[in-house]
Amino acid sequence: MLSLLVWLPILGAAVVGFWPAGAPAVWPRRIALSVASVGLALSAVLAFLYNPADGGLQFREFVPWMTSLGLSYELGIDGLSLPLLLLNAFLVWIAIFSSDENVQRPRLYYGLLLLLCGGVVGAFATQNALLFFLFYELELIPLYLLIAIWGGPRRNYAATKFLLYTAISGIMILAAFFGLAGLAGIANYSYETLAVHNLPLATQFLLLGAVLVAFGIKIPLVPFHTWLPDAHVEASTPVSLLLAGVLLKLGTYGLLRFGLGFFPEAWSAAAPWLASWAVVSVLYGCMTAIAQKDMKKMVAYSSIGHMGYILLAAAAATPLSLLGAVAQMVSHGLISGLLFLLVGVVYKKTGTRDIDVLCGLLAPERGLPFIGSLMILAVMASAGIPSMVGFVAEFIIFRASYAVFPVQTLLCILGTGLTAVYLLILINRAFFGRLPAQFANLPQVRWSERLPGLAIALLVVFLGLQPQWLVRWSEATTAALVAGRPALAGALPAQAERIDTVAVRRAHTP
Amino acid sequence: MVMYDQKVSSHPLGRVILRMEAGGALLPDGSDNLMEVVGVLKSYGVVLDAYWRNLLYIADRQFLVFFPFFKYFNGKVSLPKLLDHWAHQRINYEFSEYCMKAMLWHGAAKLDAYLDSPAFAERAGRAIRAKIKFNPAAGLLHRLFPDFLPEWARQSCYYSVLGQFWRVMSPMFLVLSDRYDRGEIRSIPDVVAHIKDGLVAAANLPLTYAVDIRGERYELIPTEADLHFLMDAAVPYVEAVFFRSFPFMGTVSYNAQAGQISENQADFNYGALYADPLPIGGSGIPPTLLMQDMKQHLPEYLREYYLGSLRGEEDMRVQICVSFQKSMFCVTTAAILGLAPYPIDTDRPDQQRANRAYLENWMDRLMHSRLPAFN
Repeated sequence: MLSLLVWLPILGAAVVGFWPAGAPAVWPRRIALSVASVGLALSAVLAFLYNPADGGLQFREFVPWMTSLGLSYELGIDGLSLPLLLLNAFLVWIAIFSSDENVQRPRLYYGLLLLLCGGVVGAFATQNALLFFLFYELELIPLYLLIAIWGGPRRNYAATKFLLYTAISGIMILAAFFGLAGLAGIANYSYETLAVHNLPLATQFLLLGAVLVAFGIKIPLVPFHTWLPDAHVEASTPVSLLLAGVLLKLGTYGLLRFGLGFFPEAWSAAAPWLASWAVVSVLYGCMTAIAQKDMKKMVAYSSIGHMGYILLAAAAATPLSLLGAVAQMVSHGLISGLLFLLVGVVYKKTGTRDIDVLCGLLAPERGLPFIGSLMILAVMASAGIPSMVGFVAEFIIFRASYAVFPVQTLLCILGTGLTAVYLLILINRAFFGRLPAQFANLPQVRWSERLPGLAIALLVVFLGLQPQWLVRWSEATTAALVAGRPALAGALPAQAERIDTVAVRRAHTP
Repeated sequence: MVMYDQKVSSHPLGRVILRMEAGGALLPDGSDNLMEVVGVLKSYGVVLDAYWRNLLYIADRQFLVFFPFFKYFNGKVSLPKLLDHWAHQRINYEFSEYCMKAMLWHGAAKLDAYLDSPAFAERAGRAIRAKIKFNPAAGLLHRLFPDFLPEWARQSCYYSVLGQFWRVMSPMFLVLSDRYDRGEIRSIPDVVAHIKDGLVAAANLPLTYAVDIRGERYELIPTEADLHFLMDAAVPYVEAVFFRSFPFMGTVSYNAQAGQISENQADFNYGALYADPLPIGGSGIPPTLLMQDMKQHLPEYLREYYLGSLRGEEDMRVQICVSFQKSMFCVTTAAILGLAPYPIDTDRPDQQRANRAYLENWMDRLMHSRLPAFN
């Protein structure tokens, strides 16, 4: 079943890509949408069949491939990857649905979107490090092309910068994997095999450093973040949505899976520094967002800030904090996806994203009241207002991390306050006030443009009101991920242990 | 001495002045403007017909009714009507009450003088005593707050005066539409002439008001009060609703504490001629209520015209509001011309000068209205 989920979009990409050139232009879109729909349905079935009480791997598939290289076709999912697979399936469907119906070169465009989807699913579903690397690299190419071909005026610059950064990220991942296998004398790149080694702490630090830089670029964390605002600003709305919603999660996923999973001793020792790094990333992202005039750039910097919370949770490394990290990945995927989607609609209708130019867009009949209302909801969710998914994720993270890193957690909480500041600036300037004459005749927003945002918004509220649907998949896995890990350096052991105990007990409660 | 030149005006709205002196209107002539104005006045006429009937019903039949739950039902309460009311399948009579309150608050000179007179106090007192004769609670209330019920009676007079005003205006607009359909109205000046003639014809209609209480008739505004349609209803209405009004929440953004609202009511300019049409659509704000009502009665040609715009059905109420403002500038033109010191086509230079000064005064008031947007 996992193979179907991985290969269906790749096969779909091939079909779309080789679709007869003379055929009507709507067909590539229809095929892509159909493939995404089937993928979404399959993911839902996967979730239905998944046993949340079992923290180990499920739906395992194994086919020996190049065994001499240690590369096998090895798939399986656990509570860390399942929520991200579901998120990916949902957002890919939204991205395809919200793509411009008259997009240029539709066969290539939809083909690349599907290929991107296949790469991401593969990266989340694989259980072999080399296979992960292949899928990780596979998603770079379509994303590069999607920015470079369908992007804004500075698309070449942004796409090249993205490619350079993420290529370095890929190289460092590969170097870390080779280093781990080589130094530990392991011939098999299966996750389970790589996780068992007895490398000295110094070597672990070295390899963990490579992993941190590699995935720090992807997340991105300050100071490896500079590619992200450019990429977001130049990318088209559906690509921005996928970039923020899913692709950045490859970074946080990799951090947990490889950083914490492969180098637990080094991770524990470095945890206080990682938590401090999270603080820097959060505060830098938020403060830079406050200074932005471009709505998309503001949301991009907001992403940097919000991804910092995940690093904080990962540094705390308690079952509860890791649960919060997974929840935050999903939460951020949905909320940032919604924000980028709405910014895209505003840009499409007004021709600008400048908050010094935009004004009064909430005007009931001549403005964009529905889009504005969704924007207010998205902003509230992003700022962590209760009853929405952002609150659930951030509350779990802060609740768990405070016991381990109180100072860093408090500073990160400051970030949520700053989030409210810049997002309120955005709302206040662009949506409140009187609609100026230049925007008094904005084109109509069609229901097909409203539906994607509405769908995400409903999910944001649903998961905020029913958080069990957000965390139930991961509780057992996050507990298992840190079971027997070493004590954190500089942490408050008694408190950390207590939180662990509580969380583990919850995870095993039927 | 400043030389007067009939062909030139240095006023920022000089082109409008020159147009009016040449027999034109505040609103430029044109087939689209004409169609919008006549079409929207047709729907307005239908809506006004419902409004005046309700205003007079409230004035006559709901006089001093403490809990007028069914005041918008015109005495015909039934379950289907109640369900329609809750489902908002109804006329927004609240809008007519907003207009009445605007008149009540800003006042009408001669009407207020009468309502402040001992004659009215005596008549109102008798009606009040008759009304609360068998209601000890109301009697107690009246003794505790002796100004409350007379003030209510005063408000009822305004209900009646506005109802009587609109009772004349409603058929005037419907006849205008019929004449347009027959090809008799071909320009904006024709519209203005029709309205002006209607106002002049009704100018001396007396305004009276009486209520029946247990079979006995109590005259609150008798004919001796010498109140008439044009000067005591039409002119105060234009002043209160077209020009002054008040800053409704949702239509005007203001900070009263910072002195952004003048303490002098005469300086108010929140009326229909000044209203920003863009906030239309906000829940419950008065312009929206009127536009909702008019939307139900648009002539087909105007509906199609609106549907052909960029947003079609979606912003129809804003479009109606814009057309409505255009039509109200026609009504205002008729009022301005009707009240001019001399006929606007006079040949005498001294009269022309007086008219020019008169028009410039009006243009000063209209400088910050929506007039520049239409010119």
